[in-house]
Amino acid sequence: MKSVLEAKGAVVRRGAREVLHGVSFALREGEAVALVGPNAAGKSTLVRALAGLLRPSAGAVLLEGRPVAAWDRDARARTLALVAPDEEAPPALTVEDRVALGRYPHRGPFRPLTAEDDAAIQAALTRTGIPHLARRALETLSAGERQLAALARGLAQQPRVLLLDEPGAHLDVGHQLGLFRILDQARAGGVAVLAVVHDLQQAAAWAGRMVLLDEGRVTAEGPPDGVLTSAEAARAFGVSVRAHALPGLAHRLYSFEEPS
Amino acid sequence: MTETRRRRLSFASLSAALVVSVGVASAAGSVSLPAPSVLSSLGVRLGLPDFSPLSPAGEAILWTARLPRVLLAALVGGGLAVVGAALQSVFRNPMADSGLLGVGSGAALGAVLAVKLGWGQTFLALPVAAFAGAMAAVLAVYALAHAAGRPSLHGLLLTGLAVSALAGAGTSVLLVATEEYRVKTVLFWLAGGLEGRSWTHLQLGGAFIVGGSALLLALARPLDVLSLGADEAAALGLPVHVTRLGLLAVSSLVAGAATSVAGSVPFVGLVAPHALRPLVGPLGRHLLPAAFLGGAVLVVLADLAARTLSAQLDLPLGALTAFVGAPYFLLALRASEGRA
Repeated sequence: MKSVLEAKGAVVRRGAREVLHGVSFALREGEAVALVGPNAAGKSTLVRALAGLLRPSAGAVLLEGRPVAAWDRDARARTLALVAPDEEAPPALTVEDRVALGRYPHRGPFRPLTAEDDAAIQAALTRTGIPHLARRALETLSAGERQLAALARGLAQQPRVLLLDEPGAHLDVGHQLGLFRILDQARAGGVAVLAVVHDLQQAAAWAGRMVLLDEGRVTAEGPPDGVLTSAEAARAFGVSVRAHALPGLAHRLYSFEEPS
Repeated sequence: MTETRRRRLSFASLSAALVVSVGVASAAGSVSLPAPSVLSSLGVRLGLPDFSPLSPAGEAILWTARLPRVLLAALVGGGLAVVGAALQSVFRNPMADSGLLGVGSGAALGAVLAVKLGWGQTFLALPVAAFAGAMAAVLAVYALAHAAGRPSLHGLLLTGLAVSALAGAGTSVLLVATEEYRVKTVLFWLAGGLEGRSWTHLQLGGAFIVGGSALLLALARPLDVLSLGADEAAALGLPVHVTRLGLLAVSSLVAGAATSVAGSVPFVGLVAPHALRPLVGPLGRHLLPAAFLGGAVLVVLADLAARTLSAQLDLPLGALTAFVGAPYFLLALRASEGRA
């Protein structure tokens, strides 16, 4: 399958510090990839570079084969959506108005929203299961509900690539499963989904492929089970990982221990 | 009540309040004019029959002194409130207003400099010098903040603070070095007020205020996107830096124009958006026009109070808006702390 988003030896600096030292990997159409790695591995930096918010000082990030920085801003935002964890939207904004801002790349600063935009907004609310919250102000929501509103904004952009930085961070286990189900539906619709996931168990259960980032380098990549049980994962997280197959369970469970 | 109804009701009430307050402020004053005659005199200019003629003296007071002053009050209030609302979205901080950009302190320095140079009595010298001072301060803030690359919001804020402090220091030094009889002219300006403002002031200030406010309203959607934070705005395709700079530049023009004709009129840019946000919501296309109307009503009434509360003298307009604004803010703060 064709890769829609690709990093080729991307070197990314934040200030004077080099955070990513030549990262290469590809995200293909309709694929679900979990990006995992220890704290400060450079996961958020990579996601921002993939989204075109940070420019690589060497190497390249290609969106549909073209450097992401060379894309027209609106066209890029119609193709790729980023849902980041820092919720900074005005507290008095309603969920529906927040989601409607996802139509900005389609309508620009001046053109009024059309029936097509309204349909996209309502579809995004429905797919994230929050139509009943549409008229509520963000400040009246739980952190998890705000996360869903942010995701709905990303879906309203109708992107072909969806990047998420820790989408499950504020969610309880039920809402986490719900969230990954939403991502699966998007993926089934042909959207390539890349999510930074902290919970390795969840990541393994959801993702078709896992990418391990350690100290600014991709050190392992492939099926989640292989990545999690690799020596690279043990080194990256500083733990030993054991996989357990349980009868009646579709995927394996993992236990983590500090090295003795 | 649905939000749409609440918003419509708010706009209807604000518009009505503006019409009524402009009417009352035109009729009331040291020489009070009968309200029906004021209406009639306004109507005549619109081609309506003169049902209750004013005396020639009344006509003169209404058309040469009172009306330009009242309309200028409305524009100054409206402009400051729109700028406050816009800057609060740009800085994503409900306490942001034009003072952050150095507008007020720059204007004050310009005005004091003009007085020190002996131009205090020259027609329009004060507003022109104040406007130049405001723009110089804003440009200094931009230039200094950009000296080390693209500034963060934080960098802009701190630079604004530093430039304001410098301009304030310059103002004090100049004031001390200025002859006492001249100081009084500029003190009135520093305290804010609209005494003796003419149609010329209205035309000069109004052009910038109305044009700039309309431009800010036209940029309401980019403003909303920007209020989501720089990262999300950039991810949505907004050219964050250019948009922010454009909004700040237009805001500075409007606030500079308002300050140059009226002196310092504090709290309007904070109170009007803050009070109206719960009624019309935070979206620019609703909040900016509502803030304009609310700010206009506030300053028209404050100016009415400034010239009618005391029979002997005009009270400083800036002091009156602060007398209303500061307690309002303390109450709002207590309410929000109590909720948290």
